[in-house]
Amino acid sequence: MTAATTQPEVSGPGDDVPGPAAPDHAESVLARVVRALLTQRIVLLAVLVVVVVVYFFLLGQNDYLTADYDFDYMSAALINAVPLAMLGFAELFVILSGRGGIDLSVGAIVSLAGMVFGFGYGQWGWPLGLAILVTAVVGGVLGLLNGILVAYIGFPALIATLATYYAYKSLAVVINNQRPISTRPIQDLYESTARSVQLPVIGEYVPDVPKGIFLFLLPTIVVVWLLLARTTYGRRVYAIGTNDVAARWSAIDVRLTRAAAYALSGVISGLVAVVTVGQFASARPDAGVSGNGMALPAITIAVLGGVAITGGIGRVSGIVLATVLIVWMNAGIRLAFEGNAGPQNQLLALGLLLVFAALLNGFATRRYGGAG
Amino acid sequence: MSEKTETRSPAPRPPEPATGRLRVLAPPVTGQEFVLLGVIAVVWVLLGLATPAFVSAGSIQPLLGAVAPIALIGIGMTVVIITGGIDVSVGAMIAVCSVIVAKLVLVQAGLGLLVALLIAIVVGGLLGLGNGALIAYGRVHAIIITFGTANIFLWISLRLFNSTTVNNIPDTLASLGNGAAGRTVGVPNSFLVTILLAAVAWVYLRHTAGGRHFYAVGGDPLAAELAGVRVRQRVLVAYVLTGLLTGLASCVVVAQGSNLGQNVGNGKELAVIAAVVIGGTSITGGRGSVLGTVLGALLVQTVASGVTQLGWRSELSDLFVGVAIIIAVGADLIRQRARKR
Repeated sequence: MTAATTQPEVSGPGDDVPGPAAPDHAESVLARVVRALLTQRIVLLAVLVVVVVVYFFLLGQNDYLTADYDFDYMSAALINAVPLAMLGFAELFVILSGRGGIDLSVGAIVSLAGMVFGFGYGQWGWPLGLAILVTAVVGGVLGLLNGILVAYIGFPALIATLATYYAYKSLAVVINNQRPISTRPIQDLYESTARSVQLPVIGEYVPDVPKGIFLFLLPTIVVVWLLLARTTYGRRVYAIGTNDVAARWSAIDVRLTRAAAYALSGVISGLVAVVTVGQFASARPDAGVSGNGMALPAITIAVLGGVAITGGIGRVSGIVLATVLIVWMNAGIRLAFEGNAGPQNQLLALGLLLVFAALLNGFATRRYGGAG
Repeated sequence: MSEKTETRSPAPRPPEPATGRLRVLAPPVTGQEFVLLGVIAVVWVLLGLATPAFVSAGSIQPLLGAVAPIALIGIGMTVVIITGGIDVSVGAMIAVCSVIVAKLVLVQAGLGLLVALLIAIVVGGLLGLGNGALIAYGRVHAIIITFGTANIFLWISLRLFNSTTVNNIPDTLASLGNGAAGRTVGVPNSFLVTILLAAVAWVYLRHTAGGRHFYAVGGDPLAAELAGVRVRQRVLVAYVLTGLLTGLASCVVVAQGSNLGQNVGNGKELAVIAAVVIGGTSITGGRGSVLGTVLGALLVQTVASGVTQLGWRSELSDLFVGVAIIIAVGADLIRQRARKR
């Protein structure tokens, strides 16, 4: 078999030999493509994004949608990507740090930190920069509490963050007697952070982009990527997530590193609180926990983005692509169905994607030994 | 092999089998459960002193009625967590089962109680079977899969709700409800059913091979497999059991009100998990008991009921639930660490 197939390739790879070489060559490419799709989450996600966009674009062209699925619409939909991707990063740190790392409390931190921001900026008239800084610090402290419980006292992450989810959620509601804060400065925040703007220079040729992308998402992406891929701290997070005993033997302070991961998750949640306040033009006490809450979608994004729930594996690019996929898919579904069916079918799509991604992870691990 | 041991160790033979009989079973009531009982008793006394209305029948009966669905699902969740898994889809499962039952008794007025119960339980069992099959045979992480199926179940329930609440549900299920028809000698039937099923589950988990196998799977699945435990089948059974019990609990939920909102079951999965971990079941698997779960559910509901009766904001009860989880699990962690030393 092998002898027969190698022969034509030796005789002349440049020749146009259609016989035995062609199917063999095609098969190996196909096998490689399948392998890349299954083991490299980035590749799969990129393909899925293209499929989703093309599918809805074609639906829109043929008048199956209630409005056009064009670049303007896709760009406007990106505003939803800001909190989603940022919380995805929050989960990325925590899940990467291993030992069953997970953070159920991100939504509750968003609510509580958002109320703090509402008080500081909306009622006490702090300057915006200070208010954002304090909100991020408050988020960090709330996250650090998770980190201390998990890393130093040894709570299972699921339990610790479940407990703090309840506690923070309750505090966020009680702190202002269940009333939202939507004073003048808070209302103006929508204009300055969430509105879509025309880009300079190339703005005439590309659609307007929501400000939040530049103010919050892109800086977060850059900082998180630098932190994880280009600093000692980032390598330590991967190390403790992969094998924390080995990490301890290589003189890494495992507990500090892990606690810091939860604190970082809190800081990001604090920033998301500012984003949500801007988006709703109001500091709502249930911002991060209403309905399904924010933790569920964030964990979904992380898993879909190829972060291994066992820790140590996961990339920034996976989170970004997974977010884009979900946001554009949801945007399409919203146009494809009228009334409540749209948001409902988003749930179905999200659930199916998650189950599919998890099954795929399992399959890829068994087939190729280790998913990327 | 036998020669070697004979020649090498003749004299100092430790009298292992005589005195130190290795304890396989936890004591019938563990330390944590005693503590829980004590805490619940203290809270009841304090609440009784603060607001005498708390210890009246009119306050205790709805409290027990509210404990029932959480504790019922908690029985199944305990088994799931003992096997080292988790099921965060029970909230959405409640939504599916309860909307089906509510619409059914609304449309089919002559439907009997048993038929309604049966349908809810079967539906719940099927949903649980879906979870269990994916987890046991797809070999994927339980929390991920159940997050996914939770979304799918939620979609099913919202489609069935069809964007409206279900109103004027007839009293087919009254014998599980909060009314006079739902009580036997003053105790809500739903709570009696819960206690009965919890007792059955307690015996099953402690004293039958099938029950012990759940612990074996949670302790070390590989070792369990090598010891002849059918690990996948046990895992599957745990999730199906949770589904069945969720179906039953949904009937209690439907019976307790005449309307059913679309947000039914919202957040219940976390309440159930909270009850289970407060009850001393280890989230990493291999350890836990149904008695603790029932006590955990009782404590959570006591706190919720107490907070409202003291005239505090009802949301404040969540803060106490969070603190209770930290204290219960934290105490267990410290005790474990002390035992290791």
